[in-house]
Amino acid sequence: MRNRLALFPVMAVLLLSPAVSTVAHHGFVSWFDMSRTVTLKGTVTSFEWTNPHSYIYLEVKNEKGAIEKWTAELGAPAMLARAGWRRDILKSGDEITAIGNPAKDGKPTVHLDKLLFANGQELSTAL
Amino acid sequence: MRYRLIFSAALVVATLAPYPAARGQQAAQPGPAPDISGVWLVEKFRPLLFPNGGAPFTPWAEAKFKATNPTTDDPNLACLPEGLPRFMISLPYPMEIFQVPTRVIIIHEGMQPVRQIYMNRQHLKDLDPSYAGDSIGKWEGDTLVVDTIGFNDKSWIDGALPHSEAMHLIERIRRIDHDTLVDDITIEDPVAYTQALNAHEVYKLKPGWEIREYVCAENNKYNYQAK
Repeated sequence: MRNRLALFPVMAVLLLSPAVSTVAHHGFVSWFDMSRTVTLKGTVTSFEWTNPHSYIYLEVKNEKGAIEKWTAELGAPAMLARAGWRRDILKSGDEITAIGNPAKDGKPTVHLDKLLFANGQELSTAL
Repeated sequence: MRYRLIFSAALVVATLAPYPAARGQQAAQPGPAPDISGVWLVEKFRPLLFPNGGAPFTPWAEAKFKATNPTTDDPNLACLPEGLPRFMISLPYPMEIFQVPTRVIIIHEGMQPVRQIYMNRQHLKDLDPSYAGDSIGKWEGDTLVVDTIGFNDKSWIDGALPHSEAMHLIERIRRIDHDTLVDDITIEDPVAYTQALNAHEVYKLKPGWEIREYVCAENNKYNYQAK
């Protein structure tokens, strides 16, 4: 059960948005539905620590047991570093829970707000 | 050897000393200028001036706005410079302000790395349209008043609004307390808007921060489609 992956779509109004997100950049208001959040529990397949965005690629098992490939978009390394992130903070195989705003077009992509590690550590993308 | 050292030192001092940006220009205003230097970050990120619509478009600007898809046509998607006033608003990246007698220089951790405000001259004649335009400034008490013209029409005002080459910005930048800087911007563009637009941005001082490298084209996955 510990390794079981699950996808938990959560529809919720974001009452509290971060003052300054490290993610906000390329027309993110147009791309992502900031009124909803999605919680993804999955396994990291790769992590790109790059400009203008960093990316976490993860595999998530949906309600039917099928594996879905998701992408979590983050901000630029400079801003993420100020929020406590590091280039080696994630590696392939890590189990994480990613919480973010889903893409408006229905693609399996989220604008990441927060990351939960298997050990309980929590990391926000907000400053 | 001694004279050579003295000569070299004098040369270095002469080279580094603040000087008018071009020959024949007046020196900067005398007297100490208020200190607005430091690294600043917007207090709250607001990507749109009119989040609920209602911008006072002219027919020209309304047609341009309606023909634009922000998910594919935002110049940011191509890593192009933000231009003004977007450089000062609608961006969640820090900027560092430097002051020398003849200029206020802003280094930005975004796609447009620098903005210069000339404190010692009037607008240049026959300006080539550009993303940043031509900014000139003067101090009125504790307020830096900046006048900018000379824009191209390739950038957006914020995350959605177009502008024309006729855009004219008047900014009033002041430090209202040690940790807070504000910029009140009046945006005049009679080609695009039937009345002036106003923007108010608040920045917070970020002690210990340094402007870091940002190379937008490194791994840009967005598909820019504007023509």
